[in-house]
Amino acid sequence: MTDTRYLALGDVVGDELFPDVDLALRRGRHIDREDNLWYTFLVDAQALLEAFYRRYGCELIHPADGYFYLLPTGDKLGRRHLSVPEMLVGQALTLLYLDPATLQSGGVIKRADALSHLAAVMGSDALTRAFNPKRKRVDERVAQETVRGKFAEALRRLGALGFVDLLDSDALRLRPGLLRFAEPVRGRGSPAEALERLVARGELVLGDGELDVDEDGEFPEESPEDDEASSKTPEPFEFPSEVLSEFEDFGEQVSPARHPQSELEELGEPPSPLRPPPSEFEDFAGEFSPPPEPPEDET
Amino acid sequence: MTEPAKDPQLVLAALARSHPVIELGTLDLCFLAALHLQAEGAVISAFSEEKLSELFEQACALVEPYAENLKRRATHTIQRLRDQKLLARVDGAGVLRAGEFALTRLAASIIESYLADESLTRENLTQLTRSLRVSLAEILTRANEAKELADWRNAVEAPLRVSVSDLVSGIERRQRSLDLEQQEFQTRIAKLLESDWFGAVDQCLELLESTSRTLTELNEILLRDAHELSSLLQDIQEITVDAQAEGAEAAVERVMEQVDRIRAWGAARQRAWSEYYQYVHRYLCDVVRLDPSRALIQRLREQLSQHTSRPFALSVAAAASPRLLREIEPFKDDKPKVSRPRAERERPPADNDAVDQHAIVEELVQGALSRGSLGLCEVTQLVNAETPNELQFVTAGRVAQVVGRLARTTIDRDRPWVSVNEGLVIEEWKLVKGGAHD
Repeated sequence: MTDTRYLALGDVVGDELFPDVDLALRRGRHIDREDNLWYTFLVDAQALLEAFYRRYGCELIHPADGYFYLLPTGDKLGRRHLSVPEMLVGQALTLLYLDPATLQSGGVIKRADALSHLAAVMGSDALTRAFNPKRKRVDERVAQETVRGKFAEALRRLGALGFVDLLDSDALRLRPGLLRFAEPVRGRGSPAEALERLVARGELVLGDGELDVDEDGEFPEESPEDDEASSKTPEPFEFPSEVLSEFEDFGEQVSPARHPQSELEELGEPPSPLRPPPSEFEDFAGEFSPPPEPPEDET
Repeated sequence: MTEPAKDPQLVLAALARSHPVIELGTLDLCFLAALHLQAEGAVISAFSEEKLSELFEQACALVEPYAENLKRRATHTIQRLRDQKLLARVDGAGVLRAGEFALTRLAASIIESYLADESLTRENLTQLTRSLRVSLAEILTRANEAKELADWRNAVEAPLRVSVSDLVSGIERRQRSLDLEQQEFQTRIAKLLESDWFGAVDQCLELLESTSRTLTELNEILLRDAHELSSLLQDIQEITVDAQAEGAEAAVERVMEQVDRIRAWGAARQRAWSEYYQYVHRYLCDVVRLDPSRALIQRLREQLSQHTSRPFALSVAAAASPRLLREIEPFKDDKPKVSRPRAERERPPADNDAVDQHAIVEELVQGALSRGSLGLCEVTQLVNAETPNELQFVTAGRVAQVVGRLARTTIDRDRPWVSVNEGLVIEEWKLVKGGAHD
């Protein structure tokens, strides 16, 4: 273990920074050196927290680029996959992060520059199609407005995840966590192999991620063909979109893939996530006491 | 005597009235620069018309080598610069002889801003702050000795307004130059990486370190010296307040504000530089060193352009927020309820004495007929005499109906219309005597 101010997990949990950092990590936040105190805390407590989060079925990842994030690999902590707009905007921002021209402004760029960069790399038509996937015939003006709206919404979500800082209505600061978007192309091997490796590690999934939600919280309109199909096989019950939009912030809860058997064997029988062993609370004599054991199952 | 504060509105209005315009092209600026350099090099204060034309041609040869009619253009340019108050005739001889011209203060300032190398350095900042300290110490001594109003004006206020203020302005001017240098420096680092990528890392690091050193030194000097200057100024201010020398007090306050601004500049630049320094350092370590062949940008660009055909999505943790259950509060119904009245819409039947109007009319008609009435009009008059006015019209109809039933009428070709009373006219029927029905 490296030099650290924490000798036991109890010291880490007792630190006043722990609740905020823990909540941020569990909500998908990427914490880098610009989060000065949080980052230092994580560096100091890394070894203890890695073991701590592993018991929740998560990995505390710390790439060489200098940021932390929590990667759920089990089914004990919720996770979601970024939507198509988030992925596209994230990759465009990563390109700008890597561009030496951005150095001149210390990583601060205009939102409009990010959107124009995205359109330049993808092409305006491809971008419009990607942001309006289910609309076959749509007015150009409406489609472009949708692109702008989804772009803004994607930026907001990426900001909440710590990939960018939204400084004001026009400017944003790029952060090192963006380099996650470049992971599939960073190695020397082919991108396909890198993708396979990342999928196996649970870093990403193939295909479009989370169900796309409009900036106004509504799901995209169904095409006429879809309407016909749905009329032939009626759904037993469906919430109206107004109701569903209220649950937008919850994201899509994905039931994760089970551990391979070999991994489970390596991990052994993990204790219940809500019931850590009493030894973890040794340093908190008098302050904490382990919760009582549950009653034996009489059946 | 305190100099009255200038009202910005009045100053702007006066400026607008004079319609000032400055339009200078590259040739004009080069011509002015040539004059400025010539004046400095040869230590001359004015130029003859011939010299002006000669310098203009030299400038023109550099900027527009193929220009024609140089003499004519020189005349026009000189006139335009005089109109814009950049060049002034200084000999005052009028038409007696050819004039002599000199650059105005405005022209000198413009050219100096282009040519002067006035960036803030450790040497010039130390020299300036030292001069400031000496000046302020002298002013403090004179302020202690000042008795008369004239003493305050000459020994304290004037030096503060002129020499001290100029020295502080000199520091501010150099700070602005350093800001420009910083911008150019940032552009230079970006261009170095753009052109040489991995090969530029060492050069960039060297630039970063040297600039950091410079800024740290400047900031240290500013922090240390600004503190000393402030304490000297506070001493002078206390004396001016005690002596009620308002003009000197205002001058001290102005210089104090300038010193505060200088100190704030140092702190702000240090902070901004620190952020920039860290960002570039991270970039060099995380991006440039890890991708020496600069292939990552190209591969990422391809990945982005092909994302729709080969989509993938990053996984992130998304623990749901804890759900806090609210206390159940009893429903407070303060608003008036919206409801229908519960009253019975149907009214119960009331016991009234039934009056059979038909029977009354029939009885009256029978009475009239028994008295031997000869016509319908007469019968109707008799019945209506017993009937209220509002019912007389209806009653007339009923009378006709009863008469038709009880009596026999003659068959006439024409039955005349006769008046029963005012407002009621009926067809007259003649009744047959003893012709009543059974």
